[in-house]
Amino acid sequence: MSDRIQMELLASSVLLLFVVLELVRRRKLTEEYSFLWILAALALLVVSMRQDMLRLAARWIGVSDPPAVLLAVLIATVFIASLCLSVIVSRQRQQIERLIEETAILSAELRDLRAVHATK
Amino acid sequence: MKRILCLIPAHNEAANLTAVVAEVRSRRPDLDILVVDDGSTDRTMAIVPRLGVRWLQLTDRLGIGSAMRAGLRYALRQGYDAAIRIDGDGQHRADDIDALLTPVSASHADIAIGTRYHQGGAARKPRAISALARLLSARTGRHVTDPTSGFYALGPRAIRILAEHHPTGYPEPELRLFLRRNALSVVEVGVRPRARFMGHTTLTTGRLATAAARVLLALVIVPLRPPERETAAHV
Repeated sequence: MSDRIQMELLASSVLLLFVVLELVRRRKLTEEYSFLWILAALALLVVSMRQDMLRLAARWIGVSDPPAVLLAVLIATVFIASLCLSVIVSRQRQQIERLIEETAILSAELRDLRAVHATK
Repeated sequence: MKRILCLIPAHNEAANLTAVVAEVRSRRPDLDILVVDDGSTDRTMAIVPRLGVRWLQLTDRLGIGSAMRAGLRYALRQGYDAAIRIDGDGQHRADDIDALLTPVSASHADIAIGTRYHQGGAARKPRAISALARLLSARTGRHVTDPTSGFYALGPRAIRILAEHHPTGYPEPELRLFLRRNALSVVEVGVRPRARFMGHTTLTTGRLATAAARVLLALVIVPLRPPERETAAHV
């Protein structure tokens, strides 16, 4: 891998880390969901600085071109991140359903109470 | 004396609800009626408060499963002993309510499900329904004749579990798998089907494909889930 690609990779991972931390600082991204991205940025950072790891991984997997491993790692990261997001969205959907159901029950109970109160 | 709640889930049924409620009242004046409006966008909610029934309004369309969960949680909190679901479109006859409630009231079963395809019944069974019934029978080890029936009566244990966990989406086939997994006993009771009063079914080809996919997934997944815990009744 050329030094230029390495520098670009290093810059991208630092930028990603900075953007994520800035989003947390501005409370646009809550802490619990930021770790996913911080971990991804750190992994990218480590890979960009330690090329020997990349070469080791390439030999281990049986890929002749180390940058291809980098691409695979990136795709895997995006894949895992979107799976995590699907889980989060599903959980939020369940929470929203539950809230709407509870709101309906509560307003019915409130209606009943008001009716009792009015007849007293 | 047993208190029984009649649940009527309704999405855009302004044209039918008045007749459905009147029919239930004339057959079973002892039942309390709870209409659960599932995010209707027609005049349903203009009509419901004038019917003299209890009602819940879901502010968005969540589907029949959510409407049932909300209705059953209401039943649980208000201390009802049994509940019956009858659809808001008129396809279920109030005449059949007695037959559905009998096995549940006598504690012969946790849930009694109306079947249009009982022996001696007149209804012809479409091929897809037959195939689905066979799949569900094989997977549950129980004889399922009408896998898409939405006409059923629930006893106390069924209410406690389904108030939290009633399947959603296109829930009737999945319900059979869920009941089996949670060791809730089922009897099928013959009912006489009828066409909905007015309007059209909400099932389109796209929805039907989604429903089929969900049912296939449920056939694989639901028997693998751990049984759910019963929720304690809280007032």
